[in-house]
Amino acid sequence: MGNYKDVEDIRSAFEADLKSIDNIKSLDEMRVKYAGKKGVLTLALKSLGKLPADERPQAGQELNILRDEIERELEAKKIAINNLENERKELSEKIDVTLPARGRDCGAFHPVMQTMYEIAEIMTGLGYSIALGPEKEEEFYNFECLNIPAWHPARDMQDTFYFPDNIESDNGKINRTLLRTHTSPVQVRSMLKYGAPLRVVCPGKVYRRDNDPTHSPMFNQMEGLLIDKDVSFAVLKGTIGEMMNAFFGRNLKNRFRASYFPFTEPSMELDIECVECGGHDAHCRICKGTGWLEVAGMGMVHPNVIRAGGIDPEIYNGFAFGIGLDRMAMLKYNINDLRLLFDGNVSYFLSGRSNRSERRAESC
Amino acid sequence: MLISWQLLKEFIDFAEDVTPEQAAERLTLSGTEIESIERPAGKLSGVVAARVQILERHESDDKLLVAHLDTGSGKYHKCVTSAHNIKQGDLVLYAGEGAVLPDGNVLGVRDFKGVKSAGMMLSAGELGLPDVDDNTGLLILPDDAVPGTDARTLYHIGDVILDVSITPNRGDLLSLLGMARELKGLFNKSNLITPWWLRPLKHVNDWSESFGNINLPDKGCIAYRLGLATGAEIKKSPLTVRIDLQHLGMRPINNAVDVTNYIMLALGQPLHAFDLNTLPAREITVRAANNGEKMTTLDNKERILNEQDMLITSGGEAIAIAGVMGGLQTGINDNTKTIVIESACFSPVRVGYTSRRLGIASEAAFRFSRTVDPVLSSRALSAALTLLSHWCGAEVGYKVLSAENEHKEPEAIKLTRAKLNKYLNWADLDESRKILEGFGIKYLSGNKDELEFMPPSFRPDISIEEDLIEEIGRYRGYNDAPAKLPGELPRRAELGSEMSLALYTRNFMMARGYTEVVTYSFLPEKFYEFLRLDESDIRAKPLVLANPISRDQMAMRTTLIPGLLTGLKNSILSGWREPVRIFEQGKIFLRDNNNSHIEFNKLAGLLFNGVDARDIYKQPEDFYSLKADVTALIEGRGFNNIIFEADSESFAHSGQTASVSIIINNNKIKLGFIARLKPSLEQELDINNNIYIFELDLTPLENIKRPELKPASLYPASTRDISLLVNKSKSHADIEHDIRESVSAAAEAKNLDLNILESLRLFDVYQGKGIPEGFVSLAYSLAYRLNDRTLKDDEVESLHNAVRESLSLKGYTMR
Repeated sequence: MGNYKDVEDIRSAFEADLKSIDNIKSLDEMRVKYAGKKGVLTLALKSLGKLPADERPQAGQELNILRDEIERELEAKKIAINNLENERKELSEKIDVTLPARGRDCGAFHPVMQTMYEIAEIMTGLGYSIALGPEKEEEFYNFECLNIPAWHPARDMQDTFYFPDNIESDNGKINRTLLRTHTSPVQVRSMLKYGAPLRVVCPGKVYRRDNDPTHSPMFNQMEGLLIDKDVSFAVLKGTIGEMMNAFFGRNLKNRFRASYFPFTEPSMELDIECVECGGHDAHCRICKGTGWLEVAGMGMVHPNVIRAGGIDPEIYNGFAFGIGLDRMAMLKYNINDLRLLFDGNVSYFLSGRSNRSERRAESC
Repeated sequence: MLISWQLLKEFIDFAEDVTPEQAAERLTLSGTEIESIERPAGKLSGVVAARVQILERHESDDKLLVAHLDTGSGKYHKCVTSAHNIKQGDLVLYAGEGAVLPDGNVLGVRDFKGVKSAGMMLSAGELGLPDVDDNTGLLILPDDAVPGTDARTLYHIGDVILDVSITPNRGDLLSLLGMARELKGLFNKSNLITPWWLRPLKHVNDWSESFGNINLPDKGCIAYRLGLATGAEIKKSPLTVRIDLQHLGMRPINNAVDVTNYIMLALGQPLHAFDLNTLPAREITVRAANNGEKMTTLDNKERILNEQDMLITSGGEAIAIAGVMGGLQTGINDNTKTIVIESACFSPVRVGYTSRRLGIASEAAFRFSRTVDPVLSSRALSAALTLLSHWCGAEVGYKVLSAENEHKEPEAIKLTRAKLNKYLNWADLDESRKILEGFGIKYLSGNKDELEFMPPSFRPDISIEEDLIEEIGRYRGYNDAPAKLPGELPRRAELGSEMSLALYTRNFMMARGYTEVVTYSFLPEKFYEFLRLDESDIRAKPLVLANPISRDQMAMRTTLIPGLLTGLKNSILSGWREPVRIFEQGKIFLRDNNNSHIEFNKLAGLLFNGVDARDIYKQPEDFYSLKADVTALIEGRGFNNIIFEADSESFAHSGQTASVSIIINNNKIKLGFIARLKPSLEQELDINNNIYIFELDLTPLENIKRPELKPASLYPASTRDISLLVNKSKSHADIEHDIRESVSAAAEAKNLDLNILESLRLFDVYQGKGIPEGFVSLAYSLAYRLNDRTLKDDEVESLHNAVRESLSLKGYTMR
């Protein structure tokens, strides 16, 4: 093609013009110049009549092809210029991405609450429901139901906060109210409410009249209770071991020591290997060089307690355990002073954050 | 409790080599925790017994003596001392050159004004046993000491002392005898030994003094026995006994009192020694105290008693609170010649009650309240008299006067193969029998499936089959037992609605930038005064502890706000200058209709822009930030009918407080408030920036409300803006209400859907130039939309004009 001389002239003129264009305004002017109503192409088409009749179809076809070409190239150029202009604009809009984030930083969890929810999650995974009980408890549930009558020396184990207001119980006896000294009363409350078989864990605040660097008058426990037929110590051992391993995220050596709680028979305490030194440091601050950490008290539920829960101990038995959530949290999060946990100081809870001023990449 | 390894060995022959450490490990794992093992002689070495062969004055110093000491080596050691309580021929402890004292000090040779003195002679204090002697000079040894003998082998000086933590059920372990029995059970091949002084005393003579009856009208006295010792010489006890007592944490007093303490430590039987001549009458009655009866105990405190307490009286006069503490008048003194020893058994319930109520934690009360073997009193009395005769040179061959009440005898207990196997996954009955017999539990009879046993009188803690199983379990240890998880799940586990809501709230608040805190449930006594709570406010009537530790932790909280303010204050005091956002979920304690206190779950939050509130984006948080948080929190549970209304709280800014309510089943339920803290309280807290707080009871949100979901209309919405000039005092809520009302009315008039207003949004608030003082310009965007067709332009125009007209009629000025 191309023996129609005008077509070639127009094409080369267009290509030359297009090269020099670098903005949308000039491009629009070019569009008018070539493809407009009075543009070069229109004029050329109109002048086709001057050609001999046999050349006209050929020349018309060539001009139409040229028109398509020109429109495509104009459109392509338009996109190219647009992109270029956006690039330029973006350059001018560059920001410092290392400036601080707008608005709030994320909050933080309380280690003891986090521990509580983590263990609750582990235990619900093992089929234990959550049972909650009152913090202001009756002497009846806190002690009597748990095989700890008023005269019992085991009451000395738990120095109790009492309230002046008493409740008269059904048998006419005065039932003092107190701040529960352990989460164990929820055992009996749960048995009375749900019956057997039963699997519950009971987290919550407990209180004892004690205040020194290792004792807070308020602390947190979680009680576990399983009641079923033919429950053996092996199940208690398996359950508590599973829980500890899940919580600390690795398999820990453990040992069971015989112990005494009025509400379990037989009773034991669980020691786990020191999470700090693994028993390899004779001067370890956490385990005092013993290699062991006392983390839970437990045992097979005493028949008197099962009876107090309205369940027949000849048919059902079970186990119960109690763990100190504050102690677990202190071990997991390396906390030294119990009192730091309850003074609401955010600088402590947020101190686990890396320094929030922006760090440069190479320092990672 | 402290245990002497050497005294223990007077009660048990281990038959194999058992070190204190091995015994401690076995005891600890079987339920009797050994807290420490101490060697009081410490680094003591090279110290020997020596005889003072020659004692002479120092030539140039009157105050000094020079001793020539024979240590059996044939050569004398010269040693200078300033002590003057020795004489020629005395036996002393000599630490020669190179000897080491308990504290690690190494002795050398010193020059005392020209006399070379090698090492030193020791006082009791230098031996680390200050209570053993009156410490006026050197420790003089008894005549039987052989010169040259290593001090560590003498008089129990080199003893090993175990600190034992004994659980409250094991009163029987509060003695050497009890520990020996326990170790016999744990080390099966051992044999118990009876020390010479524990062999029965032959009672022969009637009392040489007349004495009346012993009356026990109170059944809480199970047994009461009196023994007599005449012609006693009150002096120091033998050296070994004094050292034993100091090792075991008791102060040696005199031989008579030491006998009672020694017997108590050895056998677990508390004894009391009276001077016969100070008894008001020669008669003893143990009776219940009368309500309000008073008595002065030997610590010189007047005690007010009630009928639960038991008194020992003589001639109608109270001489002791039974099993708890003696009186002032009747004790042993240096001139005592005739001693009456009381050995009794009292009800643990009664003694426990009295000692706890009176707050007296005497050694006797501690033991009686944990049960003393009822058959022990007679044996212990006999042993005490034997020791009185040896230590005080007293005549003791008299009959014992005694009276008894009935007491519960041990009952036989069955051990079944089935239950043993159920609990321990192990069921060897023959082996079980051996284990139980080792602990002194008597086998009665049995067959291949069950055995019958009789627990001994000193183990009242064993009364049911589970107790026998525990003995077997703790003997065998729990560490080799299998471990498994339970089988079939009885029902699916549930978090429960309370915990689910707490978990939702916690995650929400933390994601929203709040830090979780836990503060004490008790507050200072008058916390409500700081909060300016009115007397009529239920929160101003807290539940107060009957026995608080301090006034600062006395009243149970009725609101979580003080805890959060304390948290803020503590944060600032620790140097925190950035924003503080904290929340707490916890219980508060409020009075109910019956005037008793019950607990309610609350969520409270606090927002503070920081001591240094400068911010590059210049967007400080305020009341509306809190409102956004609270709104989103509630909306996240599916509730969107949230109503904020201007309200007041005594501790909140009077112009920046709102109640928060939601509508459930057409009932408005108040959840709580959001507010800025009262500026005067901010000033009292010495905090220089606004504090925003909220407190909500989220219980109504426990059940998530199911949202009604619908797709967007297929037909486009038409939006129109409207700009109103309103008096500043008019609330946005009222204006919104008016606009909605106008739209409904206009739609009704035009026969259009009453819900045609899809959304109404305030997008601009303007005051300033062009707006009159006291007024504000509010611009709202209204979106009209139908579900079944596209609104025509002229329809929208005419509807919107009608809305404008209606608003004009309501008194609004359109801009």
